[in-house]
Amino acid sequence: MSLTSPPKGWYHKQVSKDEKMWVVIALVLCIVLFFWMIAWHVYGNQNPSNTTYRIEPREYVKLTEEFTKKHMIGIDKGIPVVMPEPNKDAFMLGEQWRWSPVLVLKKGEWYNIHLSSKDVLHGWSLQPPNMNFMVFPGYDYVLRFRPTEKGDFRVLCNEFCGIGHHQMIGRIIVIEDESELQEYGFESKPSSVSEAADAVTEEASESASEAELAAAGEQLYALKGCSACHSLDGRKLVAPTWKGVFGSEEEVRDENGNYVKVTVDEAYIRESILEPEKKKVKGYENIPMVITPLSDEEINQLIAFIKTVK
Amino acid sequence: MFRTCDITGFKVDLKAQTLIRLNAVFAVVSLLVAIIAALLLVFTRYQPIHLLDTEMYYRLITFHGINALVFWIIFFEVAGLYFGSTVVLNNRLCSTPMAWVSFALMVVGMLMTDAIILMGKADVGLTSYVPLKAHPLFYLGIILFAVGALIAVILFFGNILIAKRDGLVKGSLPLFTYGLLAAAIIAFISISSGALAYIPAFLWSAGFIEHYDPAAYKLMWWGLGHGSQQINVTAMIAIWYLTANLSVGGTSINERVSRTAFFLYILFICLAAAHHILTDPALSSAWKVWNTSYAMYLAVLASLIHAFAVPSAIESAQRRWGFNKGLFDWLTKAPWGNPAFSSVVLAIIGFGFIGGITGVIYGMEQTNIIVHNTLAIVGHFKGTVVIGTTLTFMGVTYYLIPLIFRRKIVAFKLAKIQPWMFFFGIAILAISMIVLGQFGMPRRHWDATFSGGPFGYEFNPAVDFFWGLMLVGGVLAFLGALVWILIVVVSVFFGPKVAGPEDMQLKISPLAPEKENKKGGYEAPGTLALVAIFFVTFVILFALNWKWLAATWMVG
Repeated sequence: MSLTSPPKGWYHKQVSKDEKMWVVIALVLCIVLFFWMIAWHVYGNQNPSNTTYRIEPREYVKLTEEFTKKHMIGIDKGIPVVMPEPNKDAFMLGEQWRWSPVLVLKKGEWYNIHLSSKDVLHGWSLQPPNMNFMVFPGYDYVLRFRPTEKGDFRVLCNEFCGIGHHQMIGRIIVIEDESELQEYGFESKPSSVSEAADAVTEEASESASEAELAAAGEQLYALKGCSACHSLDGRKLVAPTWKGVFGSEEEVRDENGNYVKVTVDEAYIRESILEPEKKKVKGYENIPMVITPLSDEEINQLIAFIKTVK
Repeated sequence: MFRTCDITGFKVDLKAQTLIRLNAVFAVVSLLVAIIAALLLVFTRYQPIHLLDTEMYYRLITFHGINALVFWIIFFEVAGLYFGSTVVLNNRLCSTPMAWVSFALMVVGMLMTDAIILMGKADVGLTSYVPLKAHPLFYLGIILFAVGALIAVILFFGNILIAKRDGLVKGSLPLFTYGLLAAAIIAFISISSGALAYIPAFLWSAGFIEHYDPAAYKLMWWGLGHGSQQINVTAMIAIWYLTANLSVGGTSINERVSRTAFFLYILFICLAAAHHILTDPALSSAWKVWNTSYAMYLAVLASLIHAFAVPSAIESAQRRWGFNKGLFDWLTKAPWGNPAFSSVVLAIIGFGFIGGITGVIYGMEQTNIIVHNTLAIVGHFKGTVVIGTTLTFMGVTYYLIPLIFRRKIVAFKLAKIQPWMFFFGIAILAISMIVLGQFGMPRRHWDATFSGGPFGYEFNPAVDFFWGLMLVGGVLAFLGALVWILIVVVSVFFGPKVAGPEDMQLKISPLAPEKENKKGGYEAPGTLALVAIFFVTFVILFALNWKWLAATWMVG
């Protein structure tokens, strides 16, 4: 009796036939479910991996940058495009709010895909196959993937990661043959791109022309993650677009909270990269900008690039 | 100070009654604000309307989650714990001042947290995964609320002890109170885990701690986040047994089996926090498989036992009342005009078929890959915590209004329809979410067209239909909940007073007559047929999900 103490002898009452049957069926079901998961590790092809490393987020960013520079074959919407070698490591970085790089994989080959984050938790969600894994800052999650179909895939973010969460969408392309790269507008090993990528690291010579500086700046824009927040085509993201920004006049909030007009020139851009909180563009006052460690040379390259974005 | 109830004959401690009332009132207030937020959220995710802006969407998703999943449920459970350990045992509250302290802490905690969220200082979602940072008072508010709830749980244990000491309980506890005891023990474990998550988070947010490992936080947080859902499940099932007793005079056909099932919950159900960590780095497959399966599914076994025991309690009683024709005469001739009864039956169906089946399948280590963080997960827990727990709590309130608040239920005809509105609303909403999730639709996502993102993505065109269906379900569920709130508020504050048993609109059934002692035969063949249907449904959905998983890329 639910509301009163049970009657005498309740503990020794015989279990009815139908209830006994159901308990046995239920118990068998439970045992099957348990061993099913273990069996799938042996016979199944989809299992969350057991390989994880602890890593400082900045170390992981460095690893991704090195990997990206080595295998880069182009740039897509400001995100580097990379074709890793089969059976080797490939890196993907989640940050507020982009996945990078774009990976070009080959159907039927295995890849050790590393996933980690620079800042907060992200959800790596491959569509349309619909496979979902968590991405943590400080943990390098290594998943051994083998694409079973070719096509153009997307990586969504499905763990809430801040105000730009819905803009965080990356790309994975699966091909069967390198000739298919052209359909996507890439070449397998365009020398110009990899050379330009090298230029990013090397001290540019003093005689570097403005065009060379700008080309290196474009690489930096993709590599350093500027593209997560600044668009090149006027799309309004969480930070001002770079389209036509150089030489324009913007209303900004200075440190005292007053709104003043400034002209976007080299000095203003340099200051905004180094001390972004000093003068915030109206409409973006409450969005913190990530301070990205850049050398003087790299800042010059970025400025040269911004000048060309019209 | 006691009054003797002229309807049930129970001795009611007036101080306990006051606190039951107050906690119940705050539960209803929390539910009201939660469903208003829910309606705005549904209208935002429906892309053609896309009501709220980005910031407001994530703000209200935090607000909705915490009010619906924490404040509404726990205020109601505290009312239930006091009811089950005083009124049902003819007992007094062991410490009235501490009950007031508990209540005050919970109210202050709730107001503090809600205020901080609405001020825009905590747009972090209910889970508030570090390193997303909220204002320190957000964490402090939740900590205060949890401390208040913990005091109430301790008072519940105290009440049981003095009832035993004073000889008010002879022999075993009533099954209802036994179930609540299991819920209280699970609450104790969950809230302790919550303290381990939130206290460092508070210190980290306030600047006293430099670094807080995100994986450690997530593990501890789900000890609370999932554990608290297990409190709901256990309390809800206790209420199912209670309602079977009140509405048709039914009792578990074998209390040893039912009690064993509750005991299995205490031992194993808290392991289920692992469901949320299956596709995370940092933990091994062995850890995941053992924990996500509640140690070889022994807590699922418990749920399956209740899935038979509760309907069979109703069936067996109905048969003894003479509704003995065929397999389902007992069900068709059941007291459907009693909204508490219909709520509980609908809750059992929704909990089992929508929430339970998806819960077990999605909680398996590998199948979680195809649903983790998609809308399917939200659909799953709409089935468990909204149709299951919330509808059960709504249903039992139809008994609490006359018995505890001593008021007649106004608009009783509407009250008879209300459970059906809410059930169908949430069922349509939940099933739409499950389908959308299986198409890969992310949860907690402001814009599924990815406006402003570097790339676009078009989901399967079928999603448009299910977004529309989800809106319909959401609106219907909102109306169902609103009708319930209006009935409760108007009845409690303005309803005609209950003068005696003649004013009871809901029947309180005497115990069903004993039947001649047939040893070990079939007691509930209709229930056996129903659980067989459930079993087949489970197997079909199980096979489908594993088929979908096997069609994805290989990963290991």
